[in-house]
Amino acid sequence: MSTAAPERSALGARRAVYLIARREFATRIRSKVFSIGTIVAVALIALYAVLQLAVIDRINTTTTFKVGFSGSVTALAQPFEAAAPSLGFKVKVSDVASEAQGRSEVRKGSLDALIVGTPGAPEAVVETGLDPTLQAALVSLAKQEVLSTDLSAAGLSPATVEGQIAAVSLHVDTLHAPTAGQLQGPIIGFVMAFALYLFIGIYGNVISQGVVAEKSSRVVEILLSTVRPGQLLLGKVVGIGLVGLLQLGIIAVCGLLFTVPTGVLALPDAAIGAVAIGVMWFVLGFILYALMLAATASLVSRVEEVSSATVPVTMLLVVTWLLAYVVAIPAIDAVTGGGALSPGLETLTTVFSLIPPFTPVLMSIRMAAGEVPLWEGLLSILLVLASIAGMTWLGARIYANSILRFGARIRLTDALRRTS
Amino acid sequence: MADRILEIDRVSKRYGNVAALQELSFEVRAGELFGFVGPNGAGKTTTMRIVLGVLAADAGEVRWGGTPITFATRQRIGYMPEERGLYPSMGVSEQLVYLAELHGMRARPARAAAAGWLERLGLADRGGEQLQKLSQGNQQRVQLAAALLFSPDVLILDEPFSGLDPVAVDVMSAVLREQADAGISVLFSSHQLELVEQLCDRVGIIRGGRMLAAGSVGELRTGSAPRYWVDAPGAASGWARQVPGATVVRVEGPRTLVELPAADGDQALLQAALATGPVREFRRDIPTLSELFRSVITEEPAA
Repeated sequence: MSTAAPERSALGARRAVYLIARREFATRIRSKVFSIGTIVAVALIALYAVLQLAVIDRINTTTTFKVGFSGSVTALAQPFEAAAPSLGFKVKVSDVASEAQGRSEVRKGSLDALIVGTPGAPEAVVETGLDPTLQAALVSLAKQEVLSTDLSAAGLSPATVEGQIAAVSLHVDTLHAPTAGQLQGPIIGFVMAFALYLFIGIYGNVISQGVVAEKSSRVVEILLSTVRPGQLLLGKVVGIGLVGLLQLGIIAVCGLLFTVPTGVLALPDAAIGAVAIGVMWFVLGFILYALMLAATASLVSRVEEVSSATVPVTMLLVVTWLLAYVVAIPAIDAVTGGGALSPGLETLTTVFSLIPPFTPVLMSIRMAAGEVPLWEGLLSILLVLASIAGMTWLGARIYANSILRFGARIRLTDALRRTS
Repeated sequence: MADRILEIDRVSKRYGNVAALQELSFEVRAGELFGFVGPNGAGKTTTMRIVLGVLAADAGEVRWGGTPITFATRQRIGYMPEERGLYPSMGVSEQLVYLAELHGMRARPARAAAAGWLERLGLADRGGEQLQKLSQGNQQRVQLAAALLFSPDVLILDEPFSGLDPVAVDVMSAVLREQADAGISVLFSSHQLELVEQLCDRVGIIRGGRMLAAGSVGELRTGSAPRYWVDAPGAASGWARQVPGATVVRVEGPRTLVELPAADGDQALLQAALATGPVREFRRDIPTLSELFRSVITEEPAA
């Protein structure tokens, strides 16, 4: 062409990985997996929070009592109404002009109770019986009234005495302090582990499908004429991983926003800690599984063959989840009072959670439950990092050897041996 | 321009027991259109993949400008693989820009180049569409744009004309010619030999992983024995055998195709023809590339 040569420069490795990751990110974020998946997950969490709130409401509040006051006892109406919430019930108080009118309202059912008499000696008129809580509240108010009257008569200020009484407290010396979030920790850990399992599964599948889609559309031949296989693989893992992380982040933040302020989760610290642990294990677990999935997926040329090619890896993930189930349920039981973990199970859990493919999911449960010694946590992270390094080498080798061999499924041993 | 030359030097490649390439050597000069012809399985695609670094050679060397080709210099090669492939569900412009960026271009000039090539190839209004929404022919044009838009120094196109309609063939030919005229080395393979003959500066005939002949079509012709069509209605059959060294290739009614060992025997052949009576036609038969191809391919035993 006669036009001046456009600006260009040699493509550095970092920019190659960036460009590939950017394309993956931009493409996947517009996909239905992302938008619909996020909306559905957030909606489910919102629904859960709403349901929980409804249940809490149902437990905490009974029906509102309609209580009428008539005569001098009306002086108790205000303190009675003020005391009601702290005693766990709701009242609607009203002044009733005369006792006769009040009695007829009780009979009609427009009042649950009519209180007559004096503040020191109230009488309750009810249809069938008086709720014990209401009765206790009224008695307590009446006693206080009598006490105040007597104190005034003895020349003491009721306010001063009440202040002194209020200042009395019981100091509790706890010999064995419970850990914050003892119960919620394992539950949040369990939820987080399930999210990890789900996300590694879903986004791992996006990786393996993407690898084979590039192979089946043959675009990979053009790509590999300008970038190295390792760069392509890394770019895919980073780009798709970031989309997964973003979705996980949106869901986790929405989860915290819905549950913490509404009181569904009582311990935001434990939840935030578990989310932080979960994010770390998602990153490490995703990279490890993505490399294994990409390597196995690159052995086939058609999208229909992906799931059969990646079976060894997906089975590993399913086994992880089964182990998580075995670990998590007793851990929750142990905290709720079902007794400590049996020594055998505890050893089993510890051993499996240190085997890299199982580590991310199992450790996220154990760490959220707060039972992992520091050295074990660090060792598990180191082991996973080491296996990521190993898989980067091995996976990139399998991928590079297979990605341009179209046609029949390639045997893993061939993919490892040949250097094309 | 002398340093801008693509050299394939004694490149060999085996697939298991099959020798795909055996010490294959040729060169593509700057500003040259080099046509790569050969039967299926001759090693054309393997050669191109090795040049692109998509495959590794077992032996031999590919040089660009006199130095062995590296990963960085490969990014200056525009490639159109035999198996066409882009992202089906990605936008046309979007993926052109992406591929240009992967060849080291910055985003802004990449967008300008993509727009320019889509305009040039008659796809200006299709840039926003998904590739899979385009017809096969138009997808092929996008594929050509993908190979060209980052202004490569070398163009390597595997069967660029296959599956094109006549209009698209003209567009493709014009673009390739124009690229070569701009000083780019263009290597392409094709089974459409008439097209290769018209278009190429030089041609390489490959078979069984060996280069059987390489050169301009004119040069290839000089290697073959001269042939003459003689229309002598009164001649008895076998008249041409009186001429020393002559062989009758074919007889079509009164016309005889005679092959001579050397071009200086033509006068003796004409005299022999005139001796039989009137001569209506006496013409040197210029072999087409197809004929040269067939003769070269059949002369050489398979490897």
